[in-house]
Amino acid sequence: MSDLSILESRMNYGAVWILAKRELMSFWRSKSRIISSLVQSLLFLFVFGAGITGSVTIDGVIIDPRAFAGSGVAAIVILFTGIFGGMSVFRDKMFGFMKELLVAPVSRKTLMFGRTLGIALQTLMQVAIVIGLGIAIGYFGYDLSLIWRFMLILPIALLASIGIVGLGLIISSRLRDMQSFGLIQTFIVMPMFWLSGALIPFPPEFQIVTMLNPFSYSVDLFRFVLLGVSVFEIWLDIIVVVGFSTILILIGARSFNKMEVS
Amino acid sequence: MTESIIEVRNLTKIYEDGKVLAVDNISFDIKKGEIFAMLGPNGAGKTTTINMLATLLDLTEGQALVNSYDVEKHPDKVRKSIGIVFQEPSLDIDMKGWENLELHAILYGMSKKDRHPKIKEVLKLVDLEDRADTYVKNYSGGMKRRLEIARGLIHEPKVLFLDEPTLGLDPQTRRKIWDKIKELNQISEITILITTHYMDEADELADRICIMDHGKIIALDTSENLKKQLSGDVIDIQFEKIEDRVKLPQIITQIREIPGIKNISFGDAKGQQDEIPMNLNLPANMPNIDPAIIQARMREIMSNPKKMLEAWNRFPMATQMFLNAPLEAKKRIANMFDDELLEEVPDNIKQEIIKIKKGEYEEEEQDFEPKLSISCESGGKQLPLIVQSINDNNLKIKTVNMHEPTLEDVFLHYVGSAIREESSNNTKNIKKFIQMRQLRK
Repeated sequence: MSDLSILESRMNYGAVWILAKRELMSFWRSKSRIISSLVQSLLFLFVFGAGITGSVTIDGVIIDPRAFAGSGVAAIVILFTGIFGGMSVFRDKMFGFMKELLVAPVSRKTLMFGRTLGIALQTLMQVAIVIGLGIAIGYFGYDLSLIWRFMLILPIALLASIGIVGLGLIISSRLRDMQSFGLIQTFIVMPMFWLSGALIPFPPEFQIVTMLNPFSYSVDLFRFVLLGVSVFEIWLDIIVVVGFSTILILIGARSFNKMEVS
Repeated sequence: MTESIIEVRNLTKIYEDGKVLAVDNISFDIKKGEIFAMLGPNGAGKTTTINMLATLLDLTEGQALVNSYDVEKHPDKVRKSIGIVFQEPSLDIDMKGWENLELHAILYGMSKKDRHPKIKEVLKLVDLEDRADTYVKNYSGGMKRRLEIARGLIHEPKVLFLDEPTLGLDPQTRRKIWDKIKELNQISEITILITTHYMDEADELADRICIMDHGKIIALDTSENLKKQLSGDVIDIQFEKIEDRVKLPQIITQIREIPGIKNISFGDAKGQQDEIPMNLNLPANMPNIDPAIIQARMREIMSNPKKMLEAWNRFPMATQMFLNAPLEAKKRIANMFDDELLEEVPDNIKQEIIKIKKGEYEEEEQDFEPKLSISCESGGKQLPLIVQSINDNNLKIKTVNMHEPTLEDVFLHYVGSAIREESSNNTKNIKKFIQMRQLRK
């Protein structure tokens, strides 16, 4: 069996839908998760929006620090929701439910696709909520162009979140115990978060750090769509985001395919 | 002859990591409509076999057909033919009972029209209709088990795999689940493969029983026939004093001499195993020395710590003997070593002695009641001789029980000991953990 045989197998769309629905339902039912993610987003919006005084200059254009923070917070929602959503695989492994899924007569591709779709949709909803909040408290100004900017951000968020979910799948297919959870937080999530330039504008001499972080390009793309300015070239953003998502989801598929549950 | 629904040929599984041989070249057939039990201690390879038949594990060698589909070539068809209840719970506890079943039905490709009546039907079968809208996290252990059985039946499988279905359930719930399993088998003629390490479960449910140990099948027949193989009687003797354990090996040797004795197993009344008497069987290549001389010599060594030290350092067998010795003997030896002498003791023995001195084993000791299980040709003839030999050794008998062989005796006969605990260390740790928690409260 080749490692990527997962891509060739048949898909069962009824199963994809029920699996996606399960992810959405579990999100909807854990009110504490929704509330905590909302409060966290609000906190970030407030601290980095109102807390940074003065103005931010990107690519020679001066922008409102609140709009800068608003777009950044919307982007990092993808990072948090995506990775921890991908971790639901680990949870299913711990509680034994993964066995029930693996023994069902559906391909692993179906299982993975359903889960990825569910988490991506869940991420989309959260991104929409955060941007909606930002607009409501006037972080992005009031402008009719916000409507199409908002519409355009959704497919980008979907694309970016697929890569992050892939990362979550890679991690959780290999994770064996709860203790490693902290390590992932420290060594993967936090660096990707802080070094993306999402919340703090880096001076040009630190630009190299952000350039090395693939997630920065998603943040940059978000900023481009929401504010009309970007740090990197826009074509570079698109290439990196598409490439990053493709590679991660493929590796994620491979890890998921190789996962054995004893 | 009835058709086979499962055919297993030379099935072998070696786990990559650690090179563990979990299943060792086994072959068997399961007939359509029968209840087939795999009986064996933990780690015998039962679950591994089931997981291979359920396409969850790759086969290292051999072939397996389920419902005439090869598990390696047509996994999807095999999966549709089977329902499985795993050893550990495998429900999504954050979903309601009904939702768990519905998700299952959709995964197995059932249309909305088909699945609703079917889900209702299986819920009724396991008496959970009124709890369908309850979250699974609020179910009791027995209810979860029943829901899993219901789930395994939704897609109308030809074979139902039940991996230790009553593990950890109370007797009443066990009985209920047994009844359900029997009912199911009679109504729908579904074939059931059940693994268990409870003798009574296998005896009660199964048409045929396959006894496994160390990855091999050591006996396969109906419960009746298995018991017939042990013709004659079984005599269980329980002793009054724990300290008597030390003398048991000697008695076993004597009882073996009595004509008509077939097999002697040794364990405590609660089914824990003890290997000392086995270890005292001297290797065949030893020179023919009178056992009495050996024992006298051992007694001499055991009364002198210096000589014991020498023995431990020179003969690995002596170390093993100490580690396997009855607690009473260990204690006596441990008390001969003061702190200064202890320094010279080999490490693994030193640790054991320290543990004994700290009194870590007290609790186990209280639980222990030495017991011999002797199978013989005719109880009426041999029993007096056995009792006499025990009396000669000044041991006090608590109870004597003579009966026809049960499945448990058959098992003892084949596996050589009572069912072993998963890991005695593990249980010890859990016990300690619970004690600590109680202390904190």
